[in-house]
Amino acid sequence: MESEQQTAESLKKEKFNFGKFHDKYYKLFLLVPIIILIISLVYLFSFYSRTGDFIIRDVSLSGGTTITLKGDIDSTNLELGLEEEFPGISFNKLTDLTTRKPIALVIQSSSSIEELKPEIEKILGYSLNDENSSIEFTGSSLSKDFYRQLIFALVISFILMSLVIFILFRTFIPSIAVIFSVFADIVMPLALIDYFGMKISAAGIAAFLMLVGYSVDTDILLTTRVLKNSEGSLNFRIFRSFKTGILMTLTALAAVLPAFLLITALPNSFRQIFLILALGLLADILNTWVTNVSIIKWYCEKKGIQ
Amino acid sequence: MFKNLEDFYKMKIGFRIWILIIALILALLAISPWKALEKGIEITSVEANSSAFEQGFRQGQIITFIDDKKIENIDDFTESLEGKFNSNESEKIIFKTKDLEIIYFSRNVPEITISTIKKTNIQTGLDLSGGSRALIEAEEKKLSSNEITDLIAVIENRMNVYGISDMKILPVSDLSGNRFILIEIAGATPKDLEDLISKQGKFEAKIGNETVFIGGEKDISSVCRNDATCAGIEACNKAQDGIYFCTFRFAVYLSQQAAERHAEITKKLDVNSTQQGNYLSQKLDLYLDDKLVDSLLISEDLKGRVTTQIQISGSGGGATQSEAYDSATESMHKLQTVLITGSLPYKLKIVKLDTISPSLGKEFLKNIILLALLVFAIISIILFFTYKKFKVTLSVIMTMFSEAFITLGIAAFISWNLDAPSIAGIIAGMGTGVNDQIVIIDESISNINLGIKERIKRALFIILGAFFTIIAAMLPLMWAGAGMLKGFAITTIIGVSVGILITRPAFAEIIKNIES
Repeated sequence: MESEQQTAESLKKEKFNFGKFHDKYYKLFLLVPIIILIISLVYLFSFYSRTGDFIIRDVSLSGGTTITLKGDIDSTNLELGLEEEFPGISFNKLTDLTTRKPIALVIQSSSSIEELKPEIEKILGYSLNDENSSIEFTGSSLSKDFYRQLIFALVISFILMSLVIFILFRTFIPSIAVIFSVFADIVMPLALIDYFGMKISAAGIAAFLMLVGYSVDTDILLTTRVLKNSEGSLNFRIFRSFKTGILMTLTALAAVLPAFLLITALPNSFRQIFLILALGLLADILNTWVTNVSIIKWYCEKKGIQ
Repeated sequence: MFKNLEDFYKMKIGFRIWILIIALILALLAISPWKALEKGIEITSVEANSSAFEQGFRQGQIITFIDDKKIENIDDFTESLEGKFNSNESEKIIFKTKDLEIIYFSRNVPEITISTIKKTNIQTGLDLSGGSRALIEAEEKKLSSNEITDLIAVIENRMNVYGISDMKILPVSDLSGNRFILIEIAGATPKDLEDLISKQGKFEAKIGNETVFIGGEKDISSVCRNDATCAGIEACNKAQDGIYFCTFRFAVYLSQQAAERHAEITKKLDVNSTQQGNYLSQKLDLYLDDKLVDSLLISEDLKGRVTTQIQISGSGGGATQSEAYDSATESMHKLQTVLITGSLPYKLKIVKLDTISPSLGKEFLKNIILLALLVFAIISIILFFTYKKFKVTLSVIMTMFSEAFITLGIAAFISWNLDAPSIAGIIAGMGTGVNDQIVIIDESISNINLGIKERIKRALFIILGAFFTIIAAMLPLMWAGAGMLKGFAITTIIGVSVGILITRPAFAEIIKNIES
């Protein structure tokens, strides 16, 4: 208990200095996320005009075949043999990080099973069965439907989330601040994923839906403490929210990051969900503690909330 | 630490904590981890009307002994049946299940499917346990829900006749109103699954242009199967180009109506004399989905006769004799199936087909469990370093564990198949669950001038807000994309609901007790 008081006091000192600094420049801070958001949006729209879509869809959303070959498969021959005949084919090795052994090779192509499977069998020299491989096929009309519906679901999910936020706070600007940060939490990772040329699967879009709900709780925490509580100064309440919120984001990251850093031999759908959540959470640190904080502080100053 | 524990025991247990304890016990009952202690193999299905069924085999029985040999896994099972039922003689085998003894006496291998006993009631999805999944729709027609129900009955019958009974077949629809049929088969993927579910299976036997009979119960009263006296592989030969061929033959019993039609048509035919014998001038052509599969010579004595029994034959080829044998057996099996079940009422198209290797799935599952444990450990360490209080950290960890455990219990109770996205939902849920507890702790250790009750109330406002937003965000996923990602939504929603209704109130009470 004693040590806690000490840290609280030392933090107060720090906050005192930082508080003044923040009071002076917080509107300027807001420029950082806004500039990043604008760059992301510009990138996404130029991406759209180039490719006709906001994401690169994998075969689960564009139609085609995924073949997962079990074991340590040398992909060189497969790549050489298949690349010409199947344009756009991709190879992805799943490696177990703890043993450093590849456990599977994932091949994705827009072709059908009948076209792809015999060619792979020819190169490998053995036939594929359910002992040595998994084969997944999605028809192109189904996957297009799938994609359309998932995007629709994402929009609905965003609208429902916004409604909940409005009902919760019943004030316009603070609610918009929360919704705006969640929007930025989606757009920033999306731009980054496109920039790295990563393909998004159906599970990946589901992860964006979850991100809507996942990234909003620190914003709710901040807004509640700033608007509904009255003890301490505005800065004190913001800082206390930050202390709580950053620990929340940290534990949430601890839940999603090990899927890339420690245990990597996981199904693709699984890894993608975690990657998108991780990127979203990182964006959320910026968007809650800079974007949302700046807007709500501005709002409080205008309204004379201390 | 001892003192801490002492306090722990002294702690008042309020009704919220009791609810948590009861929920944990119910979850434990639903998951039933003690199933792992049982030895034996489980019967996952028994073919309807088979001799195995008549002699007492039922789904869910656990075979522990075969003829006094202890059965612990599938290898034991196959070993103890090896070399049996090869002749035409009936054999006697004594099966012991957990509570009864079945004396099996037959010429055939018991028509059952088996699997190792599940270690718990938690069921993993197809992508982790292996198996196949197909999503099919009618090719040129939008089916009504009644038509879908009929179609499901026909496909189900066809699968059962083929020998697949450990499967799930259900109608699904998506947000745009498309209707599909989803077929899921656990474990090994049957060969020819595609043909079986999507080929219409229109069987016609024609002489010239006239149809003698078609597949289905109207024309065919029964088909000989699993009986070596009237169905089986006849002979295997090596052709000149090194390829092997095996021929099969089985008896089909026609209905009176079809038999009379046969007599009517054959009456008009001439007789040709050949070296092999005297046959009618035209052959009986067998068509499957408008493709000629075989032409049979009709012997002279059948001319104009009302005969209900006819022989159907065909062949299968392969690079080795055993390949040819297998291929012929399969063709026979497929033909028998469509003759019994008739054709599907609509032309179907497979829009999604996944066959997942059970062994690859096992590898993934192992890693996912490892990951969950790791996440659990990392979060525990972070919390311990943040709060440096044994009691608080322990209760957060216990709550996190309870939440995941109760979620698994509910999944087991509603027999939800946990696929990879579902488990991702549970692990990500561990993150949000902890978040809420952090809010409770931080609210309760601050705001000194407010009563603890008021502080907890504030925390609950934030938590409820987060709860409703995540429900709102995940809800649309329940319907999008033919429910393929429903699992992710379901586990997330169950997880946060368990949190809000059971674990969080209990946790708030525990913290209240610790603080006061």
